[in-house]
Amino acid sequence: MDITVNGRLRSVAPEWRDEALLSVLREQFGLVGAKFGCGVGICGACTVIIDGEAVRSCIVSVRDAAGRTVLTIEGLARADALHPVQQAWLDEAVSQCGYCQTGQIMSAVALLERSGTPSDSDITAAMNGNLCRCGTYTRVRRAIHRAAGAER
Amino acid sequence: MNRRDFVRLGLAALGVGTLSVAISDCAALPVIPKRPTADSGTALGWISHAEGAYTLLLPRAEMGQNIATALKQIACEELGIEWSRLTITLQDTQRMEVVRATVGSDSVKDYAEPLAQACATLRDALASGRQSGRLRVVNRPVSELRAFREGRFVGSSPQIVHGVEIVTGEPLFAADIRLDRMIYGRVLRAPVSPEVDVRPARWDEAAARAVPGFVGLVDDAGLSLGGNRGLGVLAKTPAALDRIAAALAVGWSVGGDAMPRDIEAAIDVDTRLQRGNLDNAVVKGRVEEGAPWDVDIRIDVPFAAHGPIEPRAAVARFQNGSLELWAGSQDVFYIRDVLADEFGLSTDQVRVHACRIGGAFGGKTICTVEREAAVLARATGRPVKMQWTRAQELALGFHRPPVSHRIRARLDDGRITDWRNAFVSSHILFTSAVLPPWLQGLIGTFAGDGGVARGSLPPYRTGRTRVDYDLVRLPVHTGPWRGLGAGPNVLAIEMAMDEAARAAGADPVAFRLAHIEDERLAATLSQVADLAKWGEAAAERPGMRVGRGVACGIYKDMSYAAVVADVAVDAGGRVRVTRLWCAHDCGRVINPDQVRAQCEGNLVWGVGMILSDRLAVDDGAVGAQTFADAPIPTMAEVPEMTIALLPSTAPPTGAGETAIVAAPGAIANAVRAATGFRPTRFPLDPSLFRTT
Repeated sequence: MDITVNGRLRSVAPEWRDEALLSVLREQFGLVGAKFGCGVGICGACTVIIDGEAVRSCIVSVRDAAGRTVLTIEGLARADALHPVQQAWLDEAVSQCGYCQTGQIMSAVALLERSGTPSDSDITAAMNGNLCRCGTYTRVRRAIHRAAGAER
Repeated sequence: MNRRDFVRLGLAALGVGTLSVAISDCAALPVIPKRPTADSGTALGWISHAEGAYTLLLPRAEMGQNIATALKQIACEELGIEWSRLTITLQDTQRMEVVRATVGSDSVKDYAEPLAQACATLRDALASGRQSGRLRVVNRPVSELRAFREGRFVGSSPQIVHGVEIVTGEPLFAADIRLDRMIYGRVLRAPVSPEVDVRPARWDEAAARAVPGFVGLVDDAGLSLGGNRGLGVLAKTPAALDRIAAALAVGWSVGGDAMPRDIEAAIDVDTRLQRGNLDNAVVKGRVEEGAPWDVDIRIDVPFAAHGPIEPRAAVARFQNGSLELWAGSQDVFYIRDVLADEFGLSTDQVRVHACRIGGAFGGKTICTVEREAAVLARATGRPVKMQWTRAQELALGFHRPPVSHRIRARLDDGRITDWRNAFVSSHILFTSAVLPPWLQGLIGTFAGDGGVARGSLPPYRTGRTRVDYDLVRLPVHTGPWRGLGAGPNVLAIEMAMDEAARAAGADPVAFRLAHIEDERLAATLSQVADLAKWGEAAAERPGMRVGRGVACGIYKDMSYAAVVADVAVDAGGRVRVTRLWCAHDCGRVINPDQVRAQCEGNLVWGVGMILSDRLAVDDGAVGAQTFADAPIPTMAEVPEMTIALLPSTAPPTGAGETAIVAAPGAIANAVRAATGFRPTRFPLDPSLFRTT
């Protein structure tokens, strides 16, 4: 059972084949950027991008991800530069505790891939399922607008 | 050259005391850890230097308040070094002297100056050519500290510590730790109140063993949380834990308890007032009881969960009789002491590494998942990772207690002459999670709970004043939640002040200013009134009722906030907060952008307090399983915010839980202005504000 993760083909070990994608990413592959928050797809902390779409990796079985292309936060930056969304997150000092932020960033990246310059309501619609208890939402919004500018 | 001396210089032999209470049928329980205040001698132990590189062992837990950044600013400023030359290391119980729990917005207030004093001493020693030997800090006047005036770093907002690691997904949190041979654990517990004595009675071990990935079961008295004893499960992968739990089909032996099931009745302040004054007085004045009241309102605020996105997690490893633990805790030294006690180890044999915490808000102060991980790791001999499920986080954590308030006020000639506030709540500092009922009972009658009382002293001239409260032990465990009692208590006061202003026919800002004693509070309120152009109406919205409200407050006698809120209410009674303005004074500001970030967080929590915070409780036990049953605000609920920090050279205080005293009251008062109805129960029920 193989999955392409961040451009690299990786094999899921037999004892991990009945797990959620999130657990395999974190525990077998050591890609701990995606987080466990709720386990039922409500909070968005586990968001990764599969074939271009932001998905909740805590409710995707690793069997369903087999053969597909997964992008995690670890695959965003190039060797010499952060992804524009990551850079915008730093420039706007979005993070408080930081736990939800990798999921927020992955949702934002998927949004910007779809819609180069999203409106405020596009942003709310795309991001409303990514919860943040610290209350960083206004900065998340600003960072997405900033990244949209940078990407133009 | 022995630069390590600099590390050792500060390690004075400070005694670590733990106040223990012997309880007949249980081991001595560490109750109130006695901790020294941080001094500059201790602070020398946090900072070390080698070959031009500096390391700061952070004396506080990092949980998103970004205290690592603020203290790094202090250290770099005082040392006179480049930002890149100082590395932050999180707390480690074996590398530093004991420090207090990270609670109460005290980190800048209590730790900035000792750190600056230590850094000044180190800077001067290095400048004079000393590279070894013992250093002694001679405290200098604050006016001579570089870190207490604006400089390269202090007063600016450099990129936050861990900023890059967060946005690139580097391991920072307890659950990100991976160790060789590590397995996964969970403790299954009966879905009952933690006040109930319960133990696993029967289970199908054969079925569990047949599940692929099964490693073992652990039935150990150490897996008790209060009277609730669980059954430990170990597996090679996380999801196997779910399958094993289902296969075990544990049957529970459930004891009785004498706890109230009807929580609203148990904390009904009006019932209690019929028996006279309440047990714990905050202000003991004598009010005129017989005459009619101009303001008489009842306010009810329910249980609420902390709702950090990170369910608590720990990784434990036993090796050669010693325990090593990675935790996301507000108090790693408390965890060390509890576990040393639990396993009969010396505190040297228990090493707790602090990880960045994925949100805590007062909820990660006691030893729970850490104890579970340690017990399972000892039983199996392999390192164990545990992370509570969301349902466990809700069922087994403690929560903001519900409170019911009655506030009555009387006016004469536009001024308050009598103020009578009574309230009933449950424990916040002397919590059921760590204290037995008999001791809590003594405290409830004779000592009170300063956490419950926090914020209940009105910052106004209120004439003849009595404020008192009762504590009730509840089946759902309660404890500190951002701001402790201050959020709900000041919400109650600020709604009563709003009604009093209406009764006086006065403008709410002018009425408050006429009653405020503290100049800084008055300045903060005036600032937000200017910022929001108070006096102008909230912007009209077609088909909506709009309104504007104001509130202000003081947090812990040290920090000041005032908020103006605009709301829009639709025909169905749904309230939307459309705009927030906040003025904030926490003395000298080390990092303005991060103080603003804390204000923003507090404003969002204020929105949650009015619109969404609740926790489903059925028959005396938490029924909530997911964020759907204990909701937190989403992006759609959060409006544009404008924040003004008052310039100040007063000693720096705290910003982590200040604006939460003002935001909820401003929103509730805006709803009153928009609809003509005084909201008194939270979160708001739209059906009460419906026009169709």
